[in-house]
Amino acid sequence: MNEDSPVQILKSNVWNSNPIFIQILGICSTLAVTNNLSNTFIMTLGLIFVAAFTNITVSLLKNIIPRKVRMILQTLIIAFYVIIVDILLRAYLPEISKALGPYVGLIITNCIIMGRAEAFAQSHGPLISAWDGITSGLGYMWVLMVIAFIRELMGFGTLFGITVLPAGFTPWTIMVMAPSAFFLLGTFIWVAKTIILKQEGGK
Amino acid sequence: MKKDSLLYTVIISVVFAFLFVFLLSLAYGATKGKVEENQKLIEARAYLVAAGIEVDDDMDIEASFNSSFPNFDTESAYQTTTVNGKSVVVSPFQGNGLWGTITGVIGLTSDLKRIVGFEIVSHVETPGLGGRIDEAWFKEQFKGEYAANGIVVKHGGSGGDTDPDNGQVDGITGASRTSDSIQVIVNQQIDKIKIELGGTN
Repeated sequence: MNEDSPVQILKSNVWNSNPIFIQILGICSTLAVTNNLSNTFIMTLGLIFVAAFTNITVSLLKNIIPRKVRMILQTLIIAFYVIIVDILLRAYLPEISKALGPYVGLIITNCIIMGRAEAFAQSHGPLISAWDGITSGLGYMWVLMVIAFIRELMGFGTLFGITVLPAGFTPWTIMVMAPSAFFLLGTFIWVAKTIILKQEGGK
Repeated sequence: MKKDSLLYTVIISVVFAFLFVFLLSLAYGATKGKVEENQKLIEARAYLVAAGIEVDDDMDIEASFNSSFPNFDTESAYQTTTVNGKSVVVSPFQGNGLWGTITGVIGLTSDLKRIVGFEIVSHVETPGLGGRIDEAWFKEQFKGEYAANGIVVKHGGSGGDTDPDNGQVDGITGASRTSDSIQVIVNQQIDKIKIELGGTN
């Protein structure tokens, strides 16, 4: 099958070359934001938005950007969209903006966005690049949501801020702190790689 | 013009930088009023929380603020109000955190012996670590805490501090510097209000 078909891109970004557990990109935010499902959700939505629009913009401008300065201009484009997200949140969702605080700014440093701009948008058209950005973001989102689900459940006994575990449950403080994200991410990579190796072995 | 030439590179860089910053300033300008309005609400809410007034989502913050602080004086370093028959001194504070300025509002009883409420308005501490100063459990600890001799934000130890009479609150694991900053900021603010009110320091 054509490597650049939309279905193939979806499969590859969400599973086969997932940005988190295969490419190991964007780990900083994976460790920092995942102790709370709501924050993780908004942050990953922001990332999907920024990744999609950055890819479109880079793809549209790829022919007029000189190679020498392409990376610095990509950074400029990424920063532009991140600040737009920040401004929109501040104006229309002030509560979420306050809860996220500096998380939004951290999207700028997320390697996934620049990685996709450089690896995909530089050599593809705007529409398919947008799809690549969205699916990369989805690949990032689902892994973070799984980790956040476990961390919030074990660390606070809640899901999306709603208490689900009985009052007698003792929260695991370690789950709230960054080290637990290391353990969970490590376990996640282990499980995912095992499944992938089995799939390949079965072929 | 050749795409690899120095001139082209410089021109393109300048044009892009100008274009994107221009678009950003447009977006900023368009949402400025809305953002300021939101900021005012956040500050008004912080004053209410610091005064020890229960704030919930359905409340009309503006009306509640106007009735609690009818004589709000922007020139003064503190405001006084009466909540449930008790006089409260509420003052905005700011100080240095680990990465930048932490601002907020603190309420003290009129004898300045206990903290009534504590709310963070803005900070840029590390998300997930120092940023947790803005979580409810951290801020709630200050409520009712004895602070006549200042407060101590504790490091280490286990079990947590639940005694409101010892002037101690729990710090944040992995964020010692931010915890220390909060201690300094709160104590400086209490001293400042003592001097403002003309009491003996």
